[in-house]
Amino acid sequence: MTAVDGQETQAQLASAASSEVIIELNEVNKWFGSFHVLKDINLTVHKGERIVVCGPSGSGKSTLIRCINRLEEHQRGDIVVDGIILDKNLKNIDHIRSEVGMVFQSFNLFPHLSIIENLTLGPIWVRKVPKAEARDIAMSYLERVKIPEQAEKYPGQLSGGQQQRVAIARSLCMNPKIMLFDEPTSALDPEMIKEVLDVMVELATTGMTMIVVTHEMGFAKTIADRVIFMDEGDIVEQNEPNEFFNNPKSDRTKLFLSQILTH
Amino acid sequence: MSIVKYKKTAPRDAPLSETTFIGWLQKNLFSSWVNTILTIISLYIVYAVVKSLWFWGIQDAVWVAENRRECFAISKHGACWAGVLIWLDNIFYGRFPRDELWRVNLGGLLLVLWMAPLWLPRVKDKIFIGLSTVFLYPFLAGYLFAGGDKGIFMQVMVSGAIVCLAGNTLHSILGVMSGRGLPEVLIGILRKENASDGNQRNTLLVILAVAYVIAYALQTSWSVMAVPWSKWGGMHLTLVISGIGITSALPGGIVLALGRRSRLPVIRVLSVSFIEIFRSVPLITVLFMATTMFPLFMPEGFVLNKLVQVIIAVCLFSACYMAETVRAGLQAIPKGQYEAAHTIGLGYWGMMSLIVMPQALKHMIPNIVGSFIGLLKDTTLVSIIGLFDLLGMLRAISQDIPWRGLHHEPLIFGAALYFVVCFVMSKYSRHLEVKLSAGGER
Repeated sequence: MTAVDGQETQAQLASAASSEVIIELNEVNKWFGSFHVLKDINLTVHKGERIVVCGPSGSGKSTLIRCINRLEEHQRGDIVVDGIILDKNLKNIDHIRSEVGMVFQSFNLFPHLSIIENLTLGPIWVRKVPKAEARDIAMSYLERVKIPEQAEKYPGQLSGGQQQRVAIARSLCMNPKIMLFDEPTSALDPEMIKEVLDVMVELATTGMTMIVVTHEMGFAKTIADRVIFMDEGDIVEQNEPNEFFNNPKSDRTKLFLSQILTH
Repeated sequence: MSIVKYKKTAPRDAPLSETTFIGWLQKNLFSSWVNTILTIISLYIVYAVVKSLWFWGIQDAVWVAENRRECFAISKHGACWAGVLIWLDNIFYGRFPRDELWRVNLGGLLLVLWMAPLWLPRVKDKIFIGLSTVFLYPFLAGYLFAGGDKGIFMQVMVSGAIVCLAGNTLHSILGVMSGRGLPEVLIGILRKENASDGNQRNTLLVILAVAYVIAYALQTSWSVMAVPWSKWGGMHLTLVISGIGITSALPGGIVLALGRRSRLPVIRVLSVSFIEIFRSVPLITVLFMATTMFPLFMPEGFVLNKLVQVIIAVCLFSACYMAETVRAGLQAIPKGQYEAAHTIGLGYWGMMSLIVMPQALKHMIPNIVGSFIGLLKDTTLVSIIGLFDLLGMLRAISQDIPWRGLHHEPLIFGAALYFVVCFVMSKYSRHLEVKLSAGGER
């Protein structure tokens, strides 16, 4: 699927990435108990770069991006985000988390708060923005995701697609430097996938650094600077999207692509 | 093959068994021979019980008499409510000096006044009102009940409570009338609507300070005579003990539950052992321990009165039970909520107080009210260690010379009293549960 007119977007998207490194993973290893889920991961992400991570389930792609804001703790190797090494220092972790937005498969909106309260909570309590100002920021982002009229409702009253767009707006309200998306469209009905992808494409045109775990290959072709294929804890192959889809190098990639592209 | 129905089917009346009372009776009570026999037997039992209760408790009962002998003289087979009625003041207030009863009543009235805004529509900042009830009301009520010399600490707290009560009441009246809060109105009166946040806050703080000084000056000239704790009793004492137990159980329980889920092993082990020790021992044991063992651990010359010891024991005991309730509530919150709170940069305390606890508390309301009811009933145990709570007072009636041997009537009266209080509480909790889950919030 193409979420927006392909050519135009490609033109807007060109050369968004700079040479400044914003995330660096160096020989990162992680185990869940005795299960080795990430194996010697090396990854460098530049500012403004848009990366799509794909791979079969259980390949460690979600774990990879969850390590970047330390929702998961890695055991070996270094992760440097925005110049700060992720270690046991809680202050650093809280700081990194406020700089890195994350969107989940299951939205994870706060059900006891209205939409506008969901959006202003972070700015008010973490960034110490005055309430009125936080409200203005929140409304501007709600307009960007095209649901300003839902501001006073509660998450339970919204459709899945609307909830996910609120979740994106909630992350953006913190004015993050990096956005992580963990299968943002996997829990949605087909007609709602488009509205969420539209918002993400629009976000990509603003030059946001994005790492997206997704199975939406059309989306990957449209916006990605780089596609990463993971399998069994390895980064098997990474390439720019055209090469990746048309000319995969490894057998594992070929097998995976043949499985998902036949439908 | 095609099956087509061209005409619309018009709705017809439901059969009589669905709409009439007779139909309902037949369907639910007399549907078969066995059911009919069961229904008739049950009705007979109900009739027999109600009839004998009616004759004993009301028809043949004696309401006015000087003593039990007179009761017997008037009616041999009826209840002797006269004894209960004459002791009514004792049942509610214990041996509190009769001239000072207004203090107990005023204390109750203030509590109602303080908490009423929580149920009023359009009042803002209800959380603050609730917290101030928990943290300031006890000092005001405590002084009203105990009286005597106010130490400097009591003076400070009592003035704070007075300011807070006045502020709350004004705030709620304004809220109900205009939908605006007290701070908003004050800022409006002083024409500072356009000032910066900091300026507005400072103005409000100055007003608060002035109000506090006035309250402090007023309360210095006000004092009531001391009533020793040993004079407290009856329903009043029951409510004091269970009230303090209940209000301290929730914060205590939250702290213990968080400790139990802590990632730091030392805190976790300490919390778990504390909770498990208190939960595996009956309350009566804890009460005996508190009154007999506790003084042994205290330094020489340090004397706590029995009431304080009992209250501490009840608080610890109920906090441990509450901790388990809170833990269950916390476990009902999905992991994604914690992660979402983390990803917007909230630290542990922000996450707990803004995201997790508000949701968990909502899940816990039925259980919390359940343990409150349990605690209210459990406090009857203090009568065993020599405090004259409601039960203690009821049993004392049979020791009173004119009413010697009058056991049944006071206990039945007490049971009815407890039933009313507990039943109202549990009905209200049910109502709250329905209201919160139907609030369109999930």
